[in-house]
Amino acid sequence: MTRLPKGARRALAGLTLLVVWETLTRTGMVDPFYLPAPTTVAAVLAELVATGEIWPHLGATALAAFAGLLIGLLLGIALGFAAALFPFVAELLEPVMILLNAIPRVILAPLFVIWLGIGLASKLALATVLVAVLIFFAVYNGVREVDQRLVERVRTLGGGQSVLVREVYVPSVTAWVLGNFKVAVGFAFTGAVVGEFVASSRGLGYLLQFAQSTYNTSLTIALIIVIMGCVLALFSLASRLERRLLAWRYQ
Amino acid sequence: MLRIRDLSVGYGEEPVLDGVSLEVGTGRFVSLVGPSGSGKTSVLRAVTSLLEPLGGTIDCDAAPTEVGFLFQDDALLPWRTVAQNVGLGLRIRNLPPDDIDRRVTSWLERVGLTGLGSRYPAQLSGGQRKRAALAQVLVLEPRLLLMDEPFASLDAIVRTRLTQELVTWVEKDGLTVMLVTHDLEEAVSVSDEVYVLGQGPRADVVAALKLALPRPRDLLQVRQHPEFPAAVNGLWQALTGAPDSEQKES
Repeated sequence: MTRLPKGARRALAGLTLLVVWETLTRTGMVDPFYLPAPTTVAAVLAELVATGEIWPHLGATALAAFAGLLIGLLLGIALGFAAALFPFVAELLEPVMILLNAIPRVILAPLFVIWLGIGLASKLALATVLVAVLIFFAVYNGVREVDQRLVERVRTLGGGQSVLVREVYVPSVTAWVLGNFKVAVGFAFTGAVVGEFVASSRGLGYLLQFAQSTYNTSLTIALIIVIMGCVLALFSLASRLERRLLAWRYQ
Repeated sequence: MLRIRDLSVGYGEEPVLDGVSLEVGTGRFVSLVGPSGSGKTSVLRAVTSLLEPLGGTIDCDAAPTEVGFLFQDDALLPWRTVAQNVGLGLRIRNLPPDDIDRRVTSWLERVGLTGLGSRYPAQLSGGQRKRAALAQVLVLEPRLLLMDEPFASLDAIVRTRLTQELVTWVEKDGLTVMLVTHDLEEAVSVSDEVYVLGQGPRADVVAALKLALPRPRDLLQVRQHPEFPAAVNGLWQALTGAPDSEQKES
């Protein structure tokens, strides 16, 4: 028997799962109140798109997530470099970052809502903190664990601190940051959606909270699919960016 | 060119090297041999200021920018192409781009890497990476070349071929060289003088051997020279602590 390609095997498995799911709900073996049929979820999804209802919410979440990702990246990179290159900065920052890393950072969401209100700022703040802590450690460890042979090589060629940063630290850290970039994209969306879930007037998290409070399982699953689709699309973009920026690794 | 007096080097309380004195005359090829852990590499690291000596003095006629250091590992930047790696020291010295391109192209040709300049180090063989590392150092036209077992990881054929090419360049350009190696035959075949370090900790120079082997040196022919076996034997006796190992001459 000819073995199917990996993509075809995955598609077949997914299709089988959907057929089983549909059959279970249609035959009444599973209560559609708790698990509506895939076709019902698809209909809700189509309606959200057709009426245009989804777009303002998707836009709000995407704005908070992208802005949080960007600010979190910049903040994490700046703080990570500062801590790695200046010991007194590390003394101050490391305990705070370890503490922030140890706790589930989404617990900060209610505090940000109290401080910054239910608008964009509180979602942005949560997404930023989630991303910045992750990237801080990527950069901090990236600089500290840089290959010392390369550092000595550049030094013996006459390179000073600025050359080391340009030729060794930045490229080395880029690899570390891009290695964590996909996780950061996920964190940014988590921050935005959880922030909206806690308190907000729009966004996918707000819609999700509304769907949950009205026991609308079809809408809940449809929104989860939308969020998963967004993150997967961004993962794909992140992979392309990684292959472009780390071309030396893929040659 | 290089005078080291009573050098002490250590990484903790106890010195690895203690009281090491040696001299490398201008245009001479000097090797430093010794058992593993005797601190051979530490001597080179102290000369290039990668290691702060605990005591002693290092006088070098060459400015820091005129000293080239070829590491045991090729240590090429993996994210830079071969040409960019070779030109790294020239860029650090802020030379005009045209000048850098010309010199890099010339050295890539000289080390047999023509056409491979746009590749990344991971796309080269071990021997090709060593050639690139060699070009990276020699393109800076150093007056003093320090080498730490640069070809140790290569197979015998590539190693012999590369060493021969290196010796030929050194003789042609009149370079001063200090080579660290644990291979006694290699040390004798390429050098004008060989210093022997004893077993560490607190290793010291236990013997110095001046060689009168002819130049230009053919690495295969020199092994047939009548003085070659005696010189290798002398180094062996010095390393293994034979009583007549102090200050030999051949």
